[in-house]
Amino acid sequence: MSYELLIFAPLALSLLVYIPTRNLGGTKYVALALFVYMFSKTIELYKQLPEHGYMLLGKFLEVKAFDFVLTLQVDRLSVIMLLLTCVLLILVTLSSWSLTKKPAAYFSLLIFFSGAIFGVFMSTNFIWFFIFWELTLIPMLFLVGIWGAEGRIYAAIKFFLYTHVASMLILLAFFLIYKQSGTFDMTLVKEAMLTTPALIWWLMFIGFAVKMPLFPFHTWLPDAHVQAPSPVSALLAGVLLKMGAYAMMRMVILLLPIQAEKFAWIFVVLGLLTLLYAGFMALYETHVKKMVAYSSISHMGLIAIAMGAMSYASLSAALFEMIGHALIISPLFLIAGFLHQKMNTWEMTDMGGVMQKAPYLSAIFVLAGLGALGLPGTMGFIGEITILISTIESFGSWMVVILLGSLISASYLIWTFRRVIYGEMSEGVKNANFSMNRVEFFSLLVFAFLIILFGIYPQTLFDEINQAFGVYFTGGTL
Amino acid sequence: MNVGLLLILPFTGAIATFLAGKLNQKYAFYLAELIGFTLFGLVLSIFLSYERPINVAIEWFSFGNATLPFGVYIDHLSLVMLLIATGLGALDIHFSHDYMKEDPDKPRYYAKILFFIGGMILLVSAKELLGLFVGWEFMGLASYLLISFWHQTKDPADAGVAAFLYTKFGDVFLFAAIGILYYYAHTLDLQYINLLATWHQIPDNVSFVVAIFIFIAAIGKSGQFPLFPWLMRAMEGPTTVSALIHGATMVNSGIYIVARMFDFYVAAEALVVVAAVASLSAFIGATSALAQNEIKKVLAYSTMSHLSLAFIGLGVGSLSAGMTHLTNHAVFKALLFLGAGAVIMAARHNKDLFRLGGAWKKLTLVGLFMGVGALSLSGIPPFSGFYSKDAIIAGAILNPKTYGLISTLTIIAGVLSVAYVFRIWLLIFAGKPRDIELHERIKTPSKFWISLPLGIMALITFVLGFYQKELSEYVTGKELPEAHVEYLLPLLLSAIILVGFIVYKFYKSRPDARDKLAAQPLMKTFHKILFNGYFVEHMITWFVKNVIINSVSKTLNWIDVRVIDGAVNGMLNLSQKIFALFNATHTSKVSNQAGVMILGLLAVLVVIFIGSLV
Repeated sequence: MSYELLIFAPLALSLLVYIPTRNLGGTKYVALALFVYMFSKTIELYKQLPEHGYMLLGKFLEVKAFDFVLTLQVDRLSVIMLLLTCVLLILVTLSSWSLTKKPAAYFSLLIFFSGAIFGVFMSTNFIWFFIFWELTLIPMLFLVGIWGAEGRIYAAIKFFLYTHVASMLILLAFFLIYKQSGTFDMTLVKEAMLTTPALIWWLMFIGFAVKMPLFPFHTWLPDAHVQAPSPVSALLAGVLLKMGAYAMMRMVILLLPIQAEKFAWIFVVLGLLTLLYAGFMALYETHVKKMVAYSSISHMGLIAIAMGAMSYASLSAALFEMIGHALIISPLFLIAGFLHQKMNTWEMTDMGGVMQKAPYLSAIFVLAGLGALGLPGTMGFIGEITILISTIESFGSWMVVILLGSLISASYLIWTFRRVIYGEMSEGVKNANFSMNRVEFFSLLVFAFLIILFGIYPQTLFDEINQAFGVYFTGGTL
Repeated sequence: MNVGLLLILPFTGAIATFLAGKLNQKYAFYLAELIGFTLFGLVLSIFLSYERPINVAIEWFSFGNATLPFGVYIDHLSLVMLLIATGLGALDIHFSHDYMKEDPDKPRYYAKILFFIGGMILLVSAKELLGLFVGWEFMGLASYLLISFWHQTKDPADAGVAAFLYTKFGDVFLFAAIGILYYYAHTLDLQYINLLATWHQIPDNVSFVVAIFIFIAAIGKSGQFPLFPWLMRAMEGPTTVSALIHGATMVNSGIYIVARMFDFYVAAEALVVVAAVASLSAFIGATSALAQNEIKKVLAYSTMSHLSLAFIGLGVGSLSAGMTHLTNHAVFKALLFLGAGAVIMAARHNKDLFRLGGAWKKLTLVGLFMGVGALSLSGIPPFSGFYSKDAIIAGAILNPKTYGLISTLTIIAGVLSVAYVFRIWLLIFAGKPRDIELHERIKTPSKFWISLPLGIMALITFVLGFYQKELSEYVTGKELPEAHVEYLLPLLLSAIILVGFIVYKFYKSRPDARDKLAAQPLMKTFHKILFNGYFVEHMITWFVKNVIINSVSKTLNWIDVRVIDGAVNGMLNLSQKIFALFNATHTSKVSNQAGVMILGLLAVLVVIFIGSLV
């Protein structure tokens, strides 16, 4: 099979599946089977990758007049992102297993999303990258807008418009690159070809900073994450934000290293602001899902700081933290949404004592929370210590201030456990029935397992991550 | 091989215990006891076959061009800590059989206890600061889970939060120290760091800052001023857990890390800071212990005070004094805590000292063993506590840096320990029952499950008194000249006798005089200050609540909603108005909006394409 089908099959399939299964049901099985298949193909693809650099998968839709070719090329970095995406897609599908509202449309949109996101990670042509980038917005818009909570319409439109406007900056940057270098292929563009690299850098930085998101461009996220159905929140945090971080890494840092070196302090300043500011937001929050959302933003700040350090170690650390963040924040979102579904409240003050009725669910919530606050034995710790060590290497000892973020996150998470999981049972908890679909519970177990597995044996992941960045640092520096 | 098993068994054992306990509640205890004593056996076999330090270097993972190791290093110092942790841990599990008899959550309990012991084993056998930190955090987690073991009720749940966050505050500094040391020393190996610091290969100001950072972490874990309030709150957990936290494991880790990095502290000239903070803590702990009504709170403040003494021992430059006191304290404090647990269990979970009394007849064995612990704690020869305490006070007087305020506070704290420990012993065992109804319900505890572990600990406490010199030589690896102050012994003994006499009068023969004195307004104020631990917790809580949450976070939250998001929404509104002008059929349906967006996107694409073609 040729790998371009990984993009186009889902895009086409989403419609093809929707029409018959709308009445018949069973879309979720199709979606699950497809994602598992995509996962296996991606692993196969990974094994074929060359030691260094890109592997060309094919060129499509060639137009002679201008450089509008769908070039599919992957390297280790993009395939690692694809693998993460597949894992999350499978787990998110599992955790939507008991969905009753228009399941056919829901899973069709997930399938569509999978095709679009594969396109983002596989295409190296700026224009096609951009098209897929924008295509991911459409299923997300509907997923938030139709299956979301009370304020879903506002949140969906805000999310769409905000990130869409930011995308215009990115598009502008791409055209500037084309005008100056004469190519839309990101593997052919060299920084030296550009006449206004600083302008391009800024346009792309702001564009991707919205998606990550970094302070002060983060306000779409709490709304979108809170209103979205929880599996979609998990997908937003696990895949969509990572798309922003991936693009930041690939284009803002690896493509324009000289500019990035010059503006490294921007990463550090905005990253620190994001880390602490979102931390304080979460500390004040009593809305359980908003707390998780701010926690998610806060960790993206950490990733931004690591990217800004721009060393071999720090980029590896950033990628590890990206994967860790996806696996840690997702179960938190899923469980927060589950609690809301059962108790019909978001307020932590109305909760309490969930442990007494749902001990295993609570244990997973606590485990994921401990991951988020960076406890050894979880992926969160590995991410934190690697980022700490690598940023101190680049910026000096004062980078220990990032640990303030870990202190704040410990405070709000432990305090959340106290208000939600521990203590006496509230009326809402007493009356609620916490029985959970087995498949959905299984997906949470997988998250928990992965958080611990890579927390104890991070080397399995780092082997691949190191190889992904090694190619850029053959001379010691970028 | 033994070492690998020692490190892995507690964790796999915890899981196995939990699962076995889910099959049958009884299995949890038996499996946990088996594992507990196996761990002790393993440590014992390492101890007996010890020739030179066990040194295993293992790479944990490498990211980019950096590598983080996770090695094992066991020497005399580690072995002493291992013996304490596993030995007392096993006895604690044995004791739990009766103490946790009626609890429905036994699988969870024993799994957490094993995890806790595992954390301590990891901490003391780590070769690098990183592995030590992992154990350190594991214990923080385990203590959190165990303190709020009875999570259904408010107080234990709150106490767990306090325990985690107070210690986490310190842990962050240890984490920072790791980052800084890795940068300056390019290694995390503790032995190597000590050497580098001794050779002044690390800049002096850096090593001083790192030493202070690590000490802040030690302050958090070992409950020193100002991070001690969690230690008292932790009394909400099961008493067996208190014995484990306050005797055998967790609180000792702060002293262990300073002892482990002793050469580093000497080179960084940070020991005097350790001694200063510790002497203040010793004073606060010893005085506050006098005013507590709950048996466990007295012991908690006494733990704080005695750990401070061990810190002072290190702070005045005597590794042996600090470590011997740590060892002695671990044994007699675990004994006292378990004794207190036996009393509390017999008295139907009543912790109020003033409702007990006259329990000697019913709890003779417990009273006897606790008496041994009390004698050792108060430093009466020939019990173990006397030697180490004497050495610490002598060290504080002889060291010119600590002579004066620090040594005075140390002596006060040392002497006052007689007062609080005899106060509780007299209140529990002597005199007539104050609450007849409660007294009649007191049941003599089981000899095998309760008195046996207490007896073993009492025996160790007694025997340790005769092996103090050997112990200090074992820990430091060399023969040391004993610090000796001529006038100290008579001074201490007369002070102890005087204080003991006053306590005896107040709490045994003349309680009316005590009550009269306590009714004085000035004494009431004193009592209030001491009872609340100098209001340190109130101040910290006030700061966090009013400054961090209600000022900083609230303001930022307002800015987020009004300013940052307000600007976004303002632009959205503006664009919507413009949009409405162009599109009269505008509806708020998502699909319409999305459709328009896609159209807009395509339009932009087309326009730009045409532009680039021209």
